[in-house]
Amino acid sequence: MKIVIAGGKHEADFVIKALKEEHHHLIVINQDRAFAEYISTSNDVPVFPGDPTKGYCLSDAEAQGADVLLALGDSDTDNYITCITAKRLFNIKKTVAKVRNPKNVEIFKKLGVDSVISSTYLLAQTILNESSVEKILKTLSIEDEKIVMIELGVEADFNLVNKRIMDIQFPKNINISCIFRDPHVIIPNGSTIIKPDDKLIIISTPNEQEEIIEFIRKKK
Amino acid sequence: MKRNKFIVIGSGRLGGNIATKMSEAGEDVIVIDATEDSFRKLQESFSGYQVVGDATDMTVLENAYIKQAKTVVLTTDSDNVNIFLAHVCYYIYNVPNIFVRLEDTDKGKLLEGTAIQAIYPFKLSFNEFIELSKEEGEDI
Repeated sequence: MKIVIAGGKHEADFVIKALKEEHHHLIVINQDRAFAEYISTSNDVPVFPGDPTKGYCLSDAEAQGADVLLALGDSDTDNYITCITAKRLFNIKKTVAKVRNPKNVEIFKKLGVDSVISSTYLLAQTILNESSVEKILKTLSIEDEKIVMIELGVEADFNLVNKRIMDIQFPKNINISCIFRDPHVIIPNGSTIIKPDDKLIIISTPNEQEEIIEFIRKKK
Repeated sequence: MKRNKFIVIGSGRLGGNIATKMSEAGEDVIVIDATEDSFRKLQESFSGYQVVGDATDMTVLENAYIKQAKTVVLTTDSDNVNIFLAHVCYYIYNVPNIFVRLEDTDKGKLLEGTAIQAIYPFKLSFNEFIELSKEEGEDI
């Protein structure tokens, strides 16, 4: 693949090393002359010293028609201009911009940048995912940890969704004591059907706890 | 929602004077600039609002009523910022009238296919030179 790497310091250095190993055709553009020289000698690639937000710079570097362009500069706005110039005027198929301000992720995508990377945004997504795991699982030990009570949220893609309790082959030592289906509290029997977004309150023993959680959360 | 705001981004000599002029003409003007000192360029007769902030942050733009803008004038000292904000105003906030000052005439290509209007000081100065030099020639 023909890949353009525009701007950036250590991230550019890292990406160039990784891509070079896979024998891609790399076009490196860097405005910082000292850094351009460093990248060039340390990776044994030619580096075009210039401002990638300028059309003539992309033209001199022969970036026309490249498969991918990565804009890794320090300024979000400059990275946007580099990507849009590449896309509209140089027919580069896929553009990727690095941004500092996580709010720019959605904006840049709406404006036509194919892929936008923000470390803060990724961090926030990771935290959100972690906390959603927390949300669907709470446990409480009673009677000196001989009994555990598990609270488990049901998601639409779980295997047991829309099945009657009597039709589900539960592992042993499990009892769904209660279902919280906002705003109702249901004491289930065999013919109760499990729905998405139900909260199951399950009584079990600590030994079976993991097996039960795994069973309930099995996807379709 | 009524679109009645006249927003100027970048309160330099050009931005500041446009803001003052439009304010005198009775427009509801809002000026955004990253540094408070820049508002000195506004004349005494300016009676609009001043917002200190980085306009490339959408929160700043929205707090400056971008959703109610009928006109946005972009006169920051960076062509890249001006074009980015012109795109944001045009494609995301659907502002009907957008004017952008560009030093680099090549960058005007990024406005093709839009209703964004560019002002090029280079072209204006160049044309003025041609005009002036013609007059000079006539004198001789």
